[in-house]
Amino acid sequence: MKIKNIYKYLFAALLALQLSSCDNNTDAEQKFDQTPTERLNAQKSELNEALLSSPEGWKAVYFTDNTILGGYTHLFKFAADGTVIMASDFSKDLKTQVSTKSEYAVQLGSTVSLTFTTKNWIHLLSDSYDYPVDALLAEGYRGDFQFLYYGQENGEIIFRTNRNNRELRFVKATAKDWTDLPKNFDMIPNVIGSDARPLFRLLETNDGTTKHQFDFSFSEVTRYAEANSIEAGYSVNYNMGIGYTPTGIVVSPAVEVGGQKLTNFTYNDADGSFTATGTGGVTAVIKYTDKPLSLTNDYKALLTGQPYALFGFYTDDYTVDAPTNSKLFQAEIDKINAALPAGQSVASVQLYFNHSLGTFIYYTFNGRAALQHYVTVEEDAVGKKIILKHKSWNGNTTVATPAFLASFDKYFMDTNGIYVKRESFRLVYTNVVYTFTSSSSPFRMTTWKIN
Amino acid sequence: MKLLKYNKAVILVMIAIAITSCTHEEQPGESQLDFTQPVQTTLDKWIASNYLNPYNINVQYKWNQNTVDNSRYLFPPTTEKVQPALEIVQKIWLDSYSKIGGADFVKKISPREIVLVGGVNLNSVGTRTLGLAEGGQRVTLFETDYIDRSDRGNITEFIHTIQHEYIHILNQNKPFDEKAWAAITPSGYTADWYNFEIPESNEIGFVTSYARLNINEDFAETASIILISSKAEYAAFLANIESPEALAALKAKEALVVKYFKEAFNMDFYALRDEAEKNTNAVIIN
Repeated sequence: MKIKNIYKYLFAALLALQLSSCDNNTDAEQKFDQTPTERLNAQKSELNEALLSSPEGWKAVYFTDNTILGGYTHLFKFAADGTVIMASDFSKDLKTQVSTKSEYAVQLGSTVSLTFTTKNWIHLLSDSYDYPVDALLAEGYRGDFQFLYYGQENGEIIFRTNRNNRELRFVKATAKDWTDLPKNFDMIPNVIGSDARPLFRLLETNDGTTKHQFDFSFSEVTRYAEANSIEAGYSVNYNMGIGYTPTGIVVSPAVEVGGQKLTNFTYNDADGSFTATGTGGVTAVIKYTDKPLSLTNDYKALLTGQPYALFGFYTDDYTVDAPTNSKLFQAEIDKINAALPAGQSVASVQLYFNHSLGTFIYYTFNGRAALQHYVTVEEDAVGKKIILKHKSWNGNTTVATPAFLASFDKYFMDTNGIYVKRESFRLVYTNVVYTFTSSSSPFRMTTWKIN
Repeated sequence: MKLLKYNKAVILVMIAIAITSCTHEEQPGESQLDFTQPVQTTLDKWIASNYLNPYNINVQYKWNQNTVDNSRYLFPPTTEKVQPALEIVQKIWLDSYSKIGGADFVKKISPREIVLVGGVNLNSVGTRTLGLAEGGQRVTLFETDYIDRSDRGNITEFIHTIQHEYIHILNQNKPFDEKAWAAITPSGYTADWYNFEIPESNEIGFVTSYARLNINEDFAETASIILISSKAEYAAFLANIESPEALAALKAKEALVVKYFKEAFNMDFYALRDEAEKNTNAVIIN
């Protein structure tokens, strides 16, 4: 190539370079016009400003793991000097409702995060030494106290927990939230259930047209509820963590009915129910019932004409510890003992059906003679119950019920009947366990079938 | 030829333009990084004047996920509990070593960082990890929220942790005679040490059950148990050992510890023990 051509190409190349070299316009859209550092700093100050922006601070119901644990309400008030005032409904005994000061920092973790850097109530959820059930050994309540910042939405701050990557939302707190926080503790007995209410509890969902029922059980230590369908061929269940509020409960995961997600349940003290209402007639109600959710035919074996059957409750054996004995039943046993002279107490309550002597309730005592309450058995075929009717005491039809037994004995004489259930569990021994439940009051006795 | 000359001139000009044309770019401005010092609390200042300045030891009590095991459910200390814990460490550990080992001893060989954790580090087998020493640089002390100066057993356990971890730091700087140590009770080491009662371990020549984990823990346990006991207490402990072999093993280990302190650091181990005992008594509120 001639040297002249080289110059020509060089000329053309330099011209092209000059015309385009300083042009930083590209057709591509500029995604980020800030450096990563600038963006992180902007996020940091955005979070800082947000935390300080709410005059009454922030509220978060922290569901640490909604497959096993419930929600713990925390209130935070952040100050510009790096301190935070906190209250929570973790424990009435520890007085966590009392505001306490500690430090926080907005720091860089895997992204911008809010960290509670010195101890306060929220750390009680992350104490390896304090775990509610053995399954959580060394894991406490699986809580975290470093929250990664994921932005804001509708005035709420969205975080994800550092360790378990669960979403946690901070919503603006009100002065009322702070004053009402102790009321969360008052809600706990309502969720646990009262001795004075009926024995059976259920969750009933209504999608506007169809109702479904689920048995309902709640564990106080984990704040976790399980609700399993009682209908054959309908195997839905709702297991949910429960958080307390002054007016009811909030659940996670949501109870999904007819495509709607229900999370907030309101307590009604008149009947002890909790109701969540959606739109278009959609509801979910946790309520009490006098009737067992599933009725059995177990009572039929006790009707007149059936073979002899004996059921026994013993105060010095495993029947006394059965969780199926209701509080009312235990209280009534205590009441008999209190009414008896010193040194005397109930030893057993045995139910003899179709014995050669007849059908009777056999009360035995420590330090006193036994009593036989002869009865007749009637069937309530519709309600699937037996109704026991008084015949005599020890064969004497004129004598009145002994005063110390009257209160206890009347539950067996329930004119509305008694439910009989063959339970699937055992109480240590191989004997089959039966429960007898009054249909009009929360009175339930647990027995072994003896013969 | 003329064209060539002309071209040359033009190209020179254009090169000059090309080289200089982008010089109007902005100069680097202020750093984007936040260099402002965090607010120093009274506690932070106390730490600076009692740990950072005299010993070049950083004390970290505020939570930092990078210095703790994130798979464990731990939490930072309550602020009010930090200084009392550090005062105990200062009195019993720093002061004792400074007195016996020389004023510069801990400055030269010390963890550069002490991490305080408020909660219990519970293991899945039910044991508690009381402390950690890592790479000769960092000591982590757990359970600082539970320190109770009126409870001798509680203080002794906390001090045991410090002494134990510091022995690790010393070992990580200067190794002990591992070969001689390993020959004393070679068959007693086991990973499930926690299944053995302490008296049971004593009778086969170990000062605690944890000492049976490996020779490093054995050395640290032997040295730290002697340090937290008075002369009379340790003598009584030895007097209670029934097995002559176990007694001989414990004495051989004690001799190796004494030798290590003399040879590696020119320190009288028994003088250190006496000083630690004196300082321990001063710390406990009766």
